[in-house]
Amino acid sequence: MNLTKKNSNGFCILNIEGRIDTTNFNEFENEVVGIIGTGEKNIVLNCKGLNYISSSGLRVFLIAQKKLMALNGKLHLCEMQPTIKEIFDISGFSTIFKIFETEEEALA
Amino acid sequence: MRYETIPPCWEKFHPPAGGPLKTDNFNSMKEEISIKSSIDELPVLAGKIEALGEKWDLPMPLTMNLNLVLEEAISNIVFYAFPDKAEQQTVNIDINYEKGEIEIVIKDNGIPFDPTAKEKPDIDLPADQRPIGGLGIFLITKIMDSVNYKRDNDKNILILKKKI
Repeated sequence: MNLTKKNSNGFCILNIEGRIDTTNFNEFENEVVGIIGTGEKNIVLNCKGLNYISSSGLRVFLIAQKKLMALNGKLHLCEMQPTIKEIFDISGFSTIFKIFETEEEALA
Repeated sequence: MRYETIPPCWEKFHPPAGGPLKTDNFNSMKEEISIKSSIDELPVLAGKIEALGEKWDLPMPLTMNLNLVLEEAISNIVFYAFPDKAEQQTVNIDINYEKGEIEIVIKDNGIPFDPTAKEKPDIDLPADQRPIGGLGIFLITKIMDSVNYKRDNDKNILILKKKI
């Protein structure tokens, strides 16, 4: 898993690459919670490079969503691969996240 | 429950138009994998499933889902069937393919642990009411066609089946 960060349009854009699973979700959680802790309230998670997620990874997405909702912030997801979208669909996560086709739409 | 029927994406699991799976050339195929009851073994297992996917010529989304199912099942076994983590035990995974069906049999000698007895999460709750966690077994039941547990001679046996 690799996470890179940039800022644009009032959003903090995080690019996730690789796998988020039981062995590395802690690392992902610490990074995302850390970024929210620095005052970033509007986050776009670009999932283009995310090619595997298990329930441990979904857990971190939900934690981020809960934290940002409590701060009246925004969490937008975008460019999700179909196999990952499928996991979000069957978990009921597609209805609790705002998921956009493109990063441009996620930033609007 | 949002998916009472097979989601459209599942179509990808069917053999490509070019012909049947290589696996169809054989009456049945079998792979036996043994790992230690440790989370550190998950990347090793993932590598073996990737290799199996190539050997059996499985579609990539199916290989990914088999990996997901195994990660969820094995991590539950590590956390709940072996609470005394100091002593690592062996978990045996048999993967069989026969007549268009994949069967995964997972055996461990930990304390009795029936993952199918877990309460199903309410996936219609809004984000602020959704509990953190509890999705692992649910994902297994949604991806596979059947999930059965039995306790047999000090062993937990989990049998997962899916038509492909």
